[in-house]
Amino acid sequence: MTRPGLARLTAVFAWVGLASLGGGRSAYFHDALVTRRRWLSDEEFLQDLAISQILPGPNFSNLAVALGFRLGGFAGAACALVALVLPGVLILLALAVVYLRGGFTAAAGSAMHGMGAAVVGLIAVMSARIMRAGLRGRLPMLLAAATAIGVGPLALPTVWVIVGASVLGLWLHRPRASEGLTPRGGA
Amino acid sequence: MELLRMSWTFLWLSFLCIGGGLGIIPELERQTVTVHQWVTAREFLDGYTLAQLTPGPNMKVAAFVGYRAHGLAGGLLAAFAMFVPPAIVTAVVAQRWRRIRGRPWAMTAERTLAPIGIGLMAGGVYTLARSAIHDPLTAGLAVAAALTLALRPVPPVAVVLAAGLIAWGTR
Repeated sequence: MTRPGLARLTAVFAWVGLASLGGGRSAYFHDALVTRRRWLSDEEFLQDLAISQILPGPNFSNLAVALGFRLGGFAGAACALVALVLPGVLILLALAVVYLRGGFTAAAGSAMHGMGAAVVGLIAVMSARIMRAGLRGRLPMLLAAATAIGVGPLALPTVWVIVGASVLGLWLHRPRASEGLTPRGGA
Repeated sequence: MELLRMSWTFLWLSFLCIGGGLGIIPELERQTVTVHQWVTAREFLDGYTLAQLTPGPNMKVAAFVGYRAHGLAGGLLAAFAMFVPPAIVTAVVAQRWRRIRGRPWAMTAERTLAPIGIGLMAGGVYTLARSAIHDPLTAGLAVAAALTLALRPVPPVAVVLAAGLIAWGTR
């Protein structure tokens, strides 16, 4: 694994942020940092993904912070956060000025809808790659599927799903279980 | 004073986001529309749509609300309150986690949490698909984007922009 300098890290995180129309999608980071650049292993990425999803706060930016910390300590985390959030905030504020003065043309609206749809296709592929890397064995697959169905089609409150899946997972992973995820490498 | 109260509201709202921002939308709307009246219900909905369709995390809708209520300073401050405090917590936990993760209970916690993290992400794809795909054109663009990325390592930004152009052109 090669580790980037701060300038390179900031540039790549800004690029990830700009590509992530349709709302922050964690899978973009797997594509940028694991698949394309090999700055991180799958195991390291999955560790940070879990941390960022469980901790409170907007989890796309939390993931950027966790990955940025791994790649460059506290300075890396700060650069990662600013690079991910600030460009989008400035673009949104610019659009807010236009919107509050009287709205958009229909053409801009349909272009934005097209972009939003493309994002769904992209994150579906990226998420599938993460699943292939991270779900080995029946227990993790069961847990991931139960969680996805709970927050997706069933639209249950996310906090309940996390609590329920955690209890289920801890019970399934009680000491006798020796299968499951392969041992983790990395930091 | 009013700016401080708004920052405080976004700060505590940010800590309610668990496993993704979608869960706090109802409370976010109640606070900004009903309780404090920083935006109207219509503006909130349009602001959230804009936040979804612009790059970066959805929760930057806070910046939209802040801008509507208190101009540029309000927008930047609202974004700061929404993103920075949870980021500090995350950085500190990320640092500590490296030290404790060798212990057996930490390994068990990690083996439990990693698949849940993946499941939340997959559920998010479903939720996003439901809101973004609503006619043959958007469905076709989503499939085309997926195939393009699956077959070639093209930059995602290029795919997104191309889809925008196609949707604009075929309107």
